[in-house]
Amino acid sequence: MNVEEKKAPIRITRFDGLFRGRQRLLSGLSGVLFAFLFIFPLFASGFWLNTLTSLLLLAAMAEGWNFIGGYTGYAAFGNVAFFGIGAYGTALSMTKLHWPFFPGMIVGVAAAVAFAIVFGLPILRLKGHYFAIATVALATATGEVANSWTSFTGGSAGITLPFFHPMQLSGQYFYYLSLLLVVFGLFLTWYIMKRKLGYSWVAVREDEEAANMMGINTTWAKVTAFALSAVMAGFAGGIYAYWRTFVLAEEVFKIDYTLQMILATVFGGPGTIFGPFIGAFIYYILVTILVFFLPIGQLHATLLGTIIILVMVFTPKGIMDFISGKRKLTWRALLENVRIYRV
Amino acid sequence: MEREVILESQSVTKHFGGLAAVEKVNMKIYQGEILGLIGPNGAGKTTFVNIITGMIPITSGKVYFKGRDITGWPAYKVGRIGIARTFQIVKPFRGMSVRENVAVGAMFGHTGHTRSSKEALEKVDELIDFVGMSHLKDRYADELTIPYLKRLELAKALAMEPELLFLDEVMAGLHTKEIESAMALVRKINERGVTLLVIEHVMKAIVGITNRVFVMNFGQELAQGTPEEVLNHPVVIKAYLGEKFAQRHMKQKAVAAKV
Repeated sequence: MNVEEKKAPIRITRFDGLFRGRQRLLSGLSGVLFAFLFIFPLFASGFWLNTLTSLLLLAAMAEGWNFIGGYTGYAAFGNVAFFGIGAYGTALSMTKLHWPFFPGMIVGVAAAVAFAIVFGLPILRLKGHYFAIATVALATATGEVANSWTSFTGGSAGITLPFFHPMQLSGQYFYYLSLLLVVFGLFLTWYIMKRKLGYSWVAVREDEEAANMMGINTTWAKVTAFALSAVMAGFAGGIYAYWRTFVLAEEVFKIDYTLQMILATVFGGPGTIFGPFIGAFIYYILVTILVFFLPIGQLHATLLGTIIILVMVFTPKGIMDFISGKRKLTWRALLENVRIYRV
Repeated sequence: MEREVILESQSVTKHFGGLAAVEKVNMKIYQGEILGLIGPNGAGKTTFVNIITGMIPITSGKVYFKGRDITGWPAYKVGRIGIARTFQIVKPFRGMSVRENVAVGAMFGHTGHTRSSKEALEKVDELIDFVGMSHLKDRYADELTIPYLKRLELAKALAMEPELLFLDEVMAGLHTKEIESAMALVRKINERGVTLLVIEHVMKAIVGITNRVFVMNFGQELAQGTPEEVLNHPVVIKAYLGEKFAQRHMKQKAVAAKV
């Protein structure tokens, strides 16, 4: 009767079929990548180790952003607030309370989560642009508070943390800690997306009204997504603070971090398990090449912007669509994207 | 009339600003019946269902489900207590497969708390067969045509295992043959023990499947009774066909309101 009655090959489910179909290939690729990442510090140090640690922290934050932005479909533009709060929470517990690093980091993460719940409840009622603007405003305001509350946060003098001992292992230590966080994020995503919570997120993204009517407590779904993205960014903030041994509001509340999280997720594929991780790699490789290895001086920002626009135009759902075979990498398919998404 | 009342609305009213979209509607739905809800466009049928299911806040009045006051409950709680609905404009989860769409109902609906996501995904096969979509199980919702999207709406609602199901124009936009199979489907749903409220413009379907009909016009109750009684009632005919009369009536009402 209709076209779709013809038997079609079973396609990969976008969010729960981790090991189905061509995603096998992807998990293989990720395995190779992880093996590389695991042995990387054996033959590299200094600049490259630092770059990779930053990359891994970005990947972890992007995995967090993926919960609220990718799976739940809320364009959060203020996730750097969780990073900043995580960093400050860790720094303050380590300097004022003289706590060790791990309990200190837990304090930072708890503060970020509490912040996400308290402010998430009101602002997650907003939709679309209004939500995006509210999150930008929230992150900016939080940064200002951290900057001005001199008696508590040290204000523009920042906070200096104790050094890691032994010093010569510091680079490796924070590198592996960040790698662990990334793996934890991947595992957390996989675990959630198999469960009811994951389905409730995707249902909210696809149609919030229908989700609500089908018995999903949409407020709960959105707040958990927001709070779990705070967990990832909070941990990243804690690691960052101790790694750099210095926390400054201007630095840890920079909106650039939010934009990087979003770019990494969107490059890789929002609403996919490996997307943000792979996206963070692509983004970092791109930036590193442009800034450090091309003799184009200040033009690198312009070039980066152009590349971002091209990527958005041609792969609106991220490169995961190509890897999973959902979208073909042909000129016709790319131009079709332009038509469908009216970009 | 010894039958048990499953849902009762007492003078349910909804005002949008100065406009009374639904005005003092008293409706009783009896256990096991198929009640038709008809009325001209803009009569307030969908708004009424939106109020009952908690999608929009009520202005005044009370709603009882099996004797329990559910007035003002949020939609997800209404869904969990055993009321489900379909949407006139279909609302599939486009990024999910047909199976996952239906499984969401089984995960979060009336009996959802009893099963995990995996159990829900395994359970819905029977339901997908029931609505005749077994060959489309693993397709994405955004690849389906309208008749199948309407069936998907039904399957999603049924997966919630509701006791009371609101069907909001599931037959609109279908051709004659599709309407017939949809009618058979609605009867089969009723045979499974689900009480139904059917909003429909297709009179053939109303006459063919409902036991009782409730007519709304301008947000108010106009008539109720068996399909034959109601569709031959002069007031109902006037509401549907007598546009001239309706306009004259409106003018008189407007004049009366000014005086």
